[in-house]
Amino acid sequence: MRKWMGMAALAAGLFAAPEAATAGSHAYAVYVDGLACPFCTYGVEKKLLQITGVKKLDIDIDAGAVKVTMAGDARLDEAAARRAVAEAGFTLRRFERTGTR
Amino acid sequence: MQFRHHGFAAAFSVAVIMAAVLAIVMAVPAAAHNPIFTPGPHVTYQGGIEVAVGYERDRASGNGTRQTEQEVEFEIEYGITADWTVEMQLPFLDKTESGRGSSGIGDMALRTRYRFWRLDSPGVQDSAAVLLQVKLATGDADSDPRLGSGSTDVVGGLLYGHEGRRWYYNLAARYRLNTEGEGGLEKGDRQFLDAVGGVRPVLTGYLEPDTVLFLEFNWENAAGDDRNGAAIADTGGWELFVSPGVFWTWRNVAVRGGVQIPIAHNLEGARAESDYRFKLQLKYQF
Repeated sequence: MRKWMGMAALAAGLFAAPEAATAGSHAYAVYVDGLACPFCTYGVEKKLLQITGVKKLDIDIDAGAVKVTMAGDARLDEAAARRAVAEAGFTLRRFERTGTR
Repeated sequence: MQFRHHGFAAAFSVAVIMAAVLAIVMAVPAAAHNPIFTPGPHVTYQGGIEVAVGYERDRASGNGTRQTEQEVEFEIEYGITADWTVEMQLPFLDKTESGRGSSGIGDMALRTRYRFWRLDSPGVQDSAAVLLQVKLATGDADSDPRLGSGSTDVVGGLLYGHEGRRWYYNLAARYRLNTEGEGGLEKGDRQFLDAVGGVRPVLTGYLEPDTVLFLEFNWENAAGDDRNGAAIADTGGWELFVSPGVFWTWRNVAVRGGVQIPIAHNLEGARAESDYRFKLQLKYQF
C-alpha cells in the first residue's frame, strides 16, 4: 500500500510540476494544415517562437496541432500566428484559445 | 583556386571548413523534404537558411575505359519568401580516367525555385514549383579529365510533390540547355524525367528521429556533342536508373543518401556506360 501511495505521489508530482511552472500563462491551440514531416515542421517552431511572448510549443504532427504557451500575461494574436505559419510555408486552419494555465 | 593531383583531401578540408564557418556565422531557419536525386518543389521557409555538405561517387566503364568521379559539394539555400528560394552549389571534384587524374573546383551552380502552387490539408501538402539553374564555368576546362565544361549552361524544370504522413510522390521534368565552351566544344542538350514514390514506415513524433524510404526512377537523355559545329562520334543517348534512397531526419538535422543503378540505356556508339552513382548528404537547418 505504501509503495502504491509513493508511486501516486511521484506521478502527481511529475504531472503537477509543469503546470505550476506555467501557472497563469495563456495557452492556445494552433491547427496547421500541410504538416507531414518533422524536418519541415521545424520552420513552424522557429517562426512561432519568434513571436514576442511565446514561451513554449508542443507540436503534434499527427493532429496537425501546435499548443502554444505564453510567458507571463502575454497573449497570442491570431493574425501574428497566421502570419508565422504562412511564412513557414503552411496554412493555419483553426486558432483556439485553450485557457489559462 | 586549384587543387591539382592528389589535392582531394585539401579540397575536402576546405569544404568542411567553409561549412563550419557558415554554420557559425549564419543564424536563421529553413525546410525541405525532397528526394535524393530528383529535385522537389519544397522550399526553405521565409528567412530560412539550410546548409548541406555532400559526397558523390560516380563510376562508368566499358569499351576499354574506366571513369571515376568523386565529389564533395557544399550547398546553401536561402528562403526569400515562403515560396521562393535561392541556392548555391559549389563542388570539389576528383576525376580519374584510364590512369589520368585531376582534382579541383568544379562548375558552380546557382539555382532558384519558385513554388507557384500549394494545397495544404490535414497531414498532407501538395505543391508544384518551377526551377531555374545557371551553371557557371568555374571548373578547369583545360585539365584532363576536364573538371568543368567551360560553358555557362541553363537548366529549367517543372517539379511536383505530394507529401503525406505516410506516402510521398514526386514528378520532375527538366531541360538543360548547354552552350559552347572552350575549344568550341558544345555538349549536347539534356532532358531529365523523374518519378518517385516514398514511404514513412513508422510515424514518429516531432522530436523523434524520422525515416522516409524513397524509390526513384531517373531517365536522362543527351543529344550528341559537337566541336565547332561538327558532330562528335560516340556521344549522346539515354540512360534509365532505379534509385533507392533514405532520408533520415531528427528535428533540424537530415542525412540523406542513395544509389542510382542503371537498368536500361541506349547510348550512341562505343563508350563507357554508368556502373553506379552514389550520393550522401548532411543537411542542417538554422
